[in-house]
Amino acid sequence: MSQRVITVVLLIGLFFGAITLVSGMSTWRLPDNQQGYAPQQPLDYSHRLHAGELQMDCRFCHTAAEQSRYAGIPSNDVCMKCHTVVTDSFDKLQDERKRADEEKRQPALSISPELRKLYDAMQLDDQLQPIAGATPKSISWVKVHNLPDYVYFDHRAHVAAGVSCQHCHGPVESMERMRQHETLSMGWCVNCHREATADGVNGRAVNAKTDCAVCHY
Amino acid sequence: MNRNVTPTHWRSLAERDGAADSQHAEPHGRNVAGVSRRQFLEAAGFTLSLVAVSGCGRAPTITALPFAVQPEGVVPGRMQQYASICSGCTASCGLLVGVRDGRPLKMEGMPEHPLSRGGLCAVGQALPLGLYDSQRFTQPLADGQAAAWDDVDRQIQKRVGELADNGGAVRFVTPTVSSPTLRAMIGKFLEPFENGRHVTFDPVSSSAILDAHEQTHGRRVLPHYRLENAHVIVSCGADFLGTWIAPVEFTAAWRTRRVPSEENPRMSYHVQLEGRLSLTGSNADRRYRVSPAEYGNVLGHLATSIASRAGQSPPPGTPGSLPIPESDLADLADRLWKARGESVVLCDSQDVAVQLLVNYINHTLGNYGTTLDLQRPSLQRQGSDAEVLALLDELRAGEVSALFVAGTDLTHNLFDRAALAEAIGQVPLVVSFAERQDDFAPLAHFVCPDHHPLESWTDAEPVRGLFSLSQPTLRPLGDTRSILESLGRWSGHPDTAYGLLQSTWKGTIQPQVAPESSFVDFWDRAVHDGFVEAAAEEIATPEFKTDDVKLVDFEPADDFTLVLYSKVGMTDSRHAHNPWLQELPDPVTKVTWDNYVCVSPTTATELGVSDGDVVRVEAETGFQVELPVLVQPGQHDRVLAMALGYGVPGTDRFANIGPQWFEARPTVAPGQPVGRNVAGFITAANNQLQYVRKGIRVASTGRHHPLASTQEHHSLRVPASVAPQGAEVRDVVQDTTLAAFERDPRAGAPAVHHHSETQLWPEDHPPTTHAWGMVIDLNKCTGCSACLIACQAENNVPVVGKDEVRRQREMHWIRLDRYYSGDDDDLSVAHQPMMCQHCGNAPCETVCPVLATVHSDEGLNEQAYNRCVGTRYCANNCPYKVRRFNWFKYERHDVLQNLILNPDVTVRTRGVMEKCSMCVQRIEEGKIAAAQRGEPVVDGDIKTACQQSCPAQAIVFGDLNDASSAVHVARGGPRTYRVLDEMNFRTSVSYQRVVRNRDGVEQGGDKHV
Repeated sequence: MSQRVITVVLLIGLFFGAITLVSGMSTWRLPDNQQGYAPQQPLDYSHRLHAGELQMDCRFCHTAAEQSRYAGIPSNDVCMKCHTVVTDSFDKLQDERKRADEEKRQPALSISPELRKLYDAMQLDDQLQPIAGATPKSISWVKVHNLPDYVYFDHRAHVAAGVSCQHCHGPVESMERMRQHETLSMGWCVNCHREATADGVNGRAVNAKTDCAVCHY
Repeated sequence: MNRNVTPTHWRSLAERDGAADSQHAEPHGRNVAGVSRRQFLEAAGFTLSLVAVSGCGRAPTITALPFAVQPEGVVPGRMQQYASICSGCTASCGLLVGVRDGRPLKMEGMPEHPLSRGGLCAVGQALPLGLYDSQRFTQPLADGQAAAWDDVDRQIQKRVGELADNGGAVRFVTPTVSSPTLRAMIGKFLEPFENGRHVTFDPVSSSAILDAHEQTHGRRVLPHYRLENAHVIVSCGADFLGTWIAPVEFTAAWRTRRVPSEENPRMSYHVQLEGRLSLTGSNADRRYRVSPAEYGNVLGHLATSIASRAGQSPPPGTPGSLPIPESDLADLADRLWKARGESVVLCDSQDVAVQLLVNYINHTLGNYGTTLDLQRPSLQRQGSDAEVLALLDELRAGEVSALFVAGTDLTHNLFDRAALAEAIGQVPLVVSFAERQDDFAPLAHFVCPDHHPLESWTDAEPVRGLFSLSQPTLRPLGDTRSILESLGRWSGHPDTAYGLLQSTWKGTIQPQVAPESSFVDFWDRAVHDGFVEAAAEEIATPEFKTDDVKLVDFEPADDFTLVLYSKVGMTDSRHAHNPWLQELPDPVTKVTWDNYVCVSPTTATELGVSDGDVVRVEAETGFQVELPVLVQPGQHDRVLAMALGYGVPGTDRFANIGPQWFEARPTVAPGQPVGRNVAGFITAANNQLQYVRKGIRVASTGRHHPLASTQEHHSLRVPASVAPQGAEVRDVVQDTTLAAFERDPRAGAPAVHHHSETQLWPEDHPPTTHAWGMVIDLNKCTGCSACLIACQAENNVPVVGKDEVRRQREMHWIRLDRYYSGDDDDLSVAHQPMMCQHCGNAPCETVCPVLATVHSDEGLNEQAYNRCVGTRYCANNCPYKVRRFNWFKYERHDVLQNLILNPDVTVRTRGVMEKCSMCVQRIEEGKIAAAQRGEPVVDGDIKTACQQSCPAQAIVFGDLNDASSAVHVARGGPRTYRVLDEMNFRTSVSYQRVVRNRDGVEQGGDKHV
């Protein structure tokens, strides 16, 4: 009798265990697979707003993608190209301007809390004037796409071949916070290299090699 | 086919005598006593489980800091090159400093530079490592205590002001100053003093040459030797390819006449007469063993025979006995006479009487104006030993009120150190500009550390009318100050080094070079190009005065004659803190991490000593040094040779360099410097510092100091124990004579033709796009080892320390194999750079169980570090023995030196095999750059690090599939061969046979098989 109870309990346990295992399999990843990594950044920069809504080209900020191995994280002064004027969200700026027009005064300076962090890094005071004697500081961004030290990926080669940024980085224009979209595993790289060599990129024939030393040296 | 009998080539005396087999096998690990198999497996299992656990977490958070404000023109991750000057020695070669993300990383020769022509020596390549040195001074010192610049300035200015008023003697000591601005600033600084003098002290001086020219030509100058015009070169001891004056420039010039081709089988004739075997001697067509004490006799006889050919009466006097056969001397005189105006006689003697004879010969041959340029003399050596000796007298007499020393270690590089230090102790004001704590700095009241040359603005004028500029490549790492600024401040011209430099260039240089252009344009061009040239000014060649030229009988000594020389890579003591250069195997002796006494094999037998036995070398004055012996074939039997520049204070820091494991032995005993200082043997005679000393006694001490020599490491020879019939003969290095070459350009090739048509493997990997290959011309290669350090810098090759070198575990990817042939009286030497040959049928690839080493479809043999599990099968199966195993994680013992790491090359970890990748990172870079331009790769665009650095341009690299490429053409040449071709490895690297300019169809003095 007790034997049967134990068997039933074990079977139920096995059943639930299998279900847990199978469902867990879908999220199980190999070590170092960082797919879906979306760390909190020091400043809530929105790619959805800039690249999606405002349709800015990726290379407007990531200028090095065509000149260097690294696409590079833009320096603060790149942000300041626009954000010396755009200090807050469009709605808030518009509201303040309307109100100022009605009250016949200069619009007050309105600064969003996130942009304030940029201005702090640039050592600008409340009126966005440089603080005397202070040197601008870098913003310590958290790197999202990390490759092991023995992998040498080169943005130039891929940009020159016509591979779109989204091909590897995913729909960045819809990401509020930057997220690693692909696995960035070697299998994923090699698959694409093989397919590109067979089918071409955007109709152009390419010779995407799969020799070890293309990436490892 | 007329074929020579192959000479036997050997790398060490033990190898020649068949005693080297014990060293032969691939270096292997030892069973560590006391650890059982079970314990090992337990430990291994535990480690494995830890690895598994550690692999499960998220990767650590990595932050990235962009610029706050990005400087114009800077691209993160991109190497940018800035024109500059090499400060490794006074030759002032042109340099391109590769700077990436704010760090100078890689030095490259400047191809446009008229002197160095794109080459750079080992010292130049190792320059940035000296920058990232945590032992450099980071602030000024006053009386040995850290001080502030303002305080130091105030005190020095006060003392200097007093001196100007009371007329005390002020002496400013520097080595040769090639910088016009620094020369001007020293002049300005000394101006207010009635008794102020600038003393130029070269640690290895050529003062006698300058003094001899003052007597014969009325101008105290060093001729600019133009070896590219020399068809016959006779050198008495001058190591012009190794260390003498401007070795890179001379190598670049020398090699232009060392390329016999089928169409024009002409090459220069180079004879070297010397006591020790120098790098230059190892490259000579004919080498004679002559004691330096007898150079004067040879030159006296040569002067007499040349004078008789010219129909002149010879100089008065009778020369002493001739140490070489008379027929050889007559032949030499004939060759020189035939090549009048196209020949040169060089000598490194510090005896003015000998140098006068050299001048006489060169003048009689009409070489002034062609191979020796006095119109635009060299300014690379300006030292005046008379001034130095006068200074020493003044110091001893207590007549000096202030002593300033910059750029040299005065006490370390001179004799009588104790007395000199005591005399300096009496000087009221002593100021040093030392970069780090040297021998002299503790004697100084004030140490005002100069910037590293990569941190500062400076200029140079190596040859009259050629002005170079050097620009800073990073912000100074410490609170140091350019010597120009220090002098400017003390002499009342406070300005930045940049400002001072600009004022010299505006005031004196621009009017000579480009008087009509605006200064801004001129300056920008100079900064961009790195050098400007003034139009040659016509100076009447001075009349040659023969009054002082005399033939003298230079009596040979019965005792030993000691030769003090500077070593390739170490030069004077300045580079002793550079671990790359300390671990660089000497091009001839192959010893690392030590200096030693070179003796000839006969002398060694006489003394009953062998390699590593410590001997006591004693001068007549009683000064003695104990150093290990190195038996050097080709050395004169009555000559001992020792390298200067060792025993430098502070080099005890290297005691624990390399992996620290339980069997590790320190590189140097704790508290002991690397090597011993032998500058105490320097003497003064006839107002010259002498580096040759007679009357030396030597005795064995019975102790042994093992030397770390790489000469027998990684040999290609088949050990007698495994060869089928005795030791197998392998034509690894092939040589021939010019006479044989003229008859048959393929002379020197082995007679047995090997059929390589039968393939064991299917042709399943033909290189379709590119086929990278390399051809190395052994006739141009001098063995200078610049490529070795260039490769080390480019590919993050670690330093392993002396103990690991002794265990055959040096990590250099390029091995400079040096082969002797012949006997001691007529020794021939060939140098062969040996690195991964990138075999088409690679033996390493077939044995790798994890496919970590595979073939690319561009003909490269690739090593994937991340896949390697360290079985070492590949290294065992490699016939060229070019694979290096990471026995340890070779951490830099000075963490600041991690800044030198090339970010484009993986830093390999423990347990991984590595080897030459043919600079695949540069190949990829070149391909990507070409793809971006939308063009195919142009031949010559991609240069490997070794190729770029080679002063002789002996290395050609490129695409063998491109029929017009230089490498394709070179590969088809008659002298080209592949090492171990009989094994059908189908290597991508080929060599070009050595051709010696000799008459015999067979090598003179060679042993035949």
